[in-house]
Amino acid sequence: MEFLQSGAGERTVRLDPRTKVALLFAVSTVLLLGGNGPVMFAVRTTMLLFPFALLAFSGRVRAAALMLAAYLGTYALAVFAAPVLTGIANAVVVASATVVSRFVPTLALAYFVFATTTVSEFMAAMARMRMPDWITIPLSVLFRFFPTLGEEARAIGAAMRMRGISPLRNGVAYLECALVPLMSCAVSIGEDLSAAALARGLGGPVKRTNVCAIGFGALDIAVIAVSAAATAALAGSLAFPGVIA
Amino acid sequence: MSGGVREGAPVLLMDNVSFSYAGGRSGAGVAGISLSLRAGEVALLCGRSGCGKTTVTRLANGLAPHFYEGTETGTVRVCGLDVARAELWETARLVGSVFQNPKSQFYNVDVRGEIAFGCENLGFDPADIERRVDDATRAFDLAPLLDASLFSLSGGQKQRVACASATATSPRLIVLDEPSSNLDFETIARLRAAIARWKASGAAVLVAEHRIHYLDSLADQVIYLDEGRIAHRWSGKEFARLEDSERVRLGLRARSAVEALRFPKRAKSAPPAPRHSNDASDNLAPQKAPKPEMPPIRFENLTAEYRKNGAFERALDVPSLELPRTSITALIGPCGVGKSTFAEAVCGLNRCGGIVELDGERLGKRNRHRRCFMVMQDVNHQLFAESVLDEVLLGMTGDDREKRALDILQDLDLDELATEHPLSLSGGQRQRVAIAQALATDRPLIVYDEPTSGLDFAHMRQVADTIRRVRDRGATQVVITHDPEFVLSCCTHVAAMESGRIADVFPLREETVNRLASLFLAYERVEQSAGSPTRDQPKGTG
Amino acid sequence: MASSNAASPTTAKTGGRLGGKDLINIGIFTAIYFVVVFAVACLGFVPILMAAICGIIPLIAGIPYLLFLTRARKFGMITILGLLTGIIMFITGMGYFSIATGLVCGLVADLIWKSGGYASASRAVVSHGVFSCWIIGNFLPFLITADTYLPTVRAQYGDAYVDELMTYLQPEMYPVLLLACFVTGIIGGFIGRAILKKHFERAGIA
Repeated sequence: MEFLQSGAGERTVRLDPRTKVALLFAVSTVLLLGGNGPVMFAVRTTMLLFPFALLAFSGRVRAAALMLAAYLGTYALAVFAAPVLTGIANAVVVASATVVSRFVPTLALAYFVFATTTVSEFMAAMARMRMPDWITIPLSVLFRFFPTLGEEARAIGAAMRMRGISPLRNGVAYLECALVPLMSCAVSIGEDLSAAALARGLGGPVKRTNVCAIGFGALDIAVIAVSAAATAALAGSLAFPGVIA
Repeated sequence: MSGGVREGAPVLLMDNVSFSYAGGRSGAGVAGISLSLRAGEVALLCGRSGCGKTTVTRLANGLAPHFYEGTETGTVRVCGLDVARAELWETARLVGSVFQNPKSQFYNVDVRGEIAFGCENLGFDPADIERRVDDATRAFDLAPLLDASLFSLSGGQKQRVACASATATSPRLIVLDEPSSNLDFETIARLRAAIARWKASGAAVLVAEHRIHYLDSLADQVIYLDEGRIAHRWSGKEFARLEDSERVRLGLRARSAVEALRFPKRAKSAPPAPRHSNDASDNLAPQKAPKPEMPPIRFENLTAEYRKNGAFERALDVPSLELPRTSITALIGPCGVGKSTFAEAVCGLNRCGGIVELDGERLGKRNRHRRCFMVMQDVNHQLFAESVLDEVLLGMTGDDREKRALDILQDLDLDELATEHPLSLSGGQRQRVAIAQALATDRPLIVYDEPTSGLDFAHMRQVADTIRRVRDRGATQVVITHDPEFVLSCCTHVAAMESGRIADVFPLREETVNRLASLFLAYERVEQSAGSPTRDQPKGTG
Repeated sequence: MASSNAASPTTAKTGGRLGGKDLINIGIFTAIYFVVVFAVACLGFVPILMAAICGIIPLIAGIPYLLFLTRARKFGMITILGLLTGIIMFITGMGYFSIATGLVCGLVADLIWKSGGYASASRAVVSHGVFSCWIIGNFLPFLITADTYLPTVRAQYGDAYVDELMTYLQPEMYPVLLLACFVTGIIGGFIGRAILKKHFERAGIA
């Protein structure tokens, strides 16, 4: 499992973290607000396919293909099942499929962002944006901590399998069995992590420098241009519904 | 503050320092500690678990009292800076730290960022940092890993990154808190080389450690702590000349690799493990022959794969292996050769293939995790219940289960703790709770993943003693370990692993101990011939 | 076997500026909190349960929240927790209203926790009730952007679906959802306190 395990060397797509923020914002907005008419349909389709493309280009073809398949599958289900089913079945199937298909593209984008951003890049970008410590430090710890939680959860899952603890047999107690060791391990790793970070001078009043080379390249400009165009098109279609449609 | 230290003035000066933790849970306090460490000197802090070694390192790098709160008296100065009064980031300019657990001490997700991290926090010029990162990378042989994810590295590689990161800020004092706990022989040799390099470059080095053999002829001062006070102080040479019986009496581990690999003979002179005062310790050497009447446990075509860049790679390939019943097999080999993968495959916990044959029953992957049991390196992963007794009862069946559970607890010296919360116990007690789980569900095969990492002499002996008791109950055991002293104190067989295969298996007797020694020393030599590039690939997370 | 009796920061002084240790703690607990919320929210992909996640998430999330409070001895920590939770919700595609609700609910929850001197058990439970109300942010898109959002959905999936959806996402349902978040948040607070007593206090990490 390589989810969230950023290795800078494996990356073929190198985007500035600020570009990723812009993209997140654009994709989220366009998919959320939608807009009507053929133009906005085209814009929306572009924006929702974007994350899969980025994911594939960054070398995660398998994940991209799986997530795209999940998206298309649920979308197709929603479209084809809607006229056929009736009543409660319609509501359950169609609505589930709709919700899943609605979130898959943004989850793919979130995966891309987490998997291709290193802590140092992130901190460099936050420094350029003049974000204060109280937001940069917790967020960077988050980046570092998700994979750790994944590792711990896997080990705990293995231990539970050896003991035959399963949701079916143990019910609610299963949750307790999973959460208590997960949280106690997370807390003790967190203590060590803070001690090590503070012993290396994190959080001092010194202005932090950064060796990490971030900056906008051609690809960044392209991505930002697409994001801006999509957002502008959406704004236009909302402000003047007649014009663009 | 920094710089401008007079030649010969101590880098670290502790004058009658006492510290007690607020709340009392964080560790052992210390009292009346005085020590002085000059540039280019290495001081070793040793003593039993809980003697306060770690606290002394925390006083030196300022984590006590700034992170671990408590009351401090006396003064700690590093190059004249009053560590207790200065802020942590000020101390960080002068002191570099390496901690015990490789997985919890890094802040970044990539190696390059991690090495640069300290420098960046201190606001060094970026061009200067680049140069420092390059230097540290070269010194610790990390060039092939520079762009790797830290999550894909083995424990030993992570510890090297930690050393490189500590070096990059060119600290005057380097503080190491049990850095070898999770390391194999090869990486321990690298650690020795790192300390030698720091010493040569004029940094002062303070090491708190149980496994002290790698500091042989490197430490200038050896300080022995007992219950928070300095009980003995030797020069490096005096310490080397100390009688071996005295070393054992003080509860210290072997002082050199040769000593660690000596076949145990003077078993009776050893101090008994805590709480097992009268029994067992006279049975230190492996002697009992396995019961011949039961068929051995057989492994056939045991394989495992892990995913690397989307493709599956074979990490384990054991065509056939037999373990005699009730044997205790030490599984040795450098980090990242597939020992843990083997353990997981035996228990059916990873993407594995092949068969484990137990009493004529052929177990596929699905049945293994009910019949085999793994005591994990971090036992906290396998403690679920709210009391020790409940923990053991979980998964037991039958009407007499409570009686059987109590019987097992008694056998493992846990009966008095039956109502305690497992997480409130000491590390060794927790480990025995995990072993009790295996006994409670009658597992014929138990695998241990590095059960003695970070343990002092007495606790290591205690684990060996527990493992022998488990053997008396009829279980066959496999122990993954990097600890020759431990292998010699309880194992009956040795299996050496090399790149996913079992390269050598032999019973452990006095005649074969040289074979064991040559294996361990070979791992060490691999390192001394300056790095093996083949092992420098990031290992997969299997 | 790492030394597991690591420092318990419960002894930290109350008040004052947030230090590095506090900020790192916020990051760690946001990660734990989010993982719990996300795991539970996956159940909510079945839309009948979607409204019900308002009621389920706080029941479980009270456990990490109450453990977090044992570390939150300064003003601002809960606010940042709320803000960051909202930001991650945004990153994972739940829209950006959670950022606002996270910030507001976090701030109020922070004030409540502060008013109890960072030690009151009952204030901790109430604080979790209020904090849990941020979840409503996940549903606000349906209300606030309904005019632009719904016609699109209607065109794609047909009237039946939209009508179904709107039966429980009527504007007048929002106070009900909010109340559900609060009430289950209170219950979750009690559950969290019970788990704290049962496990974490005895383990020495609370």
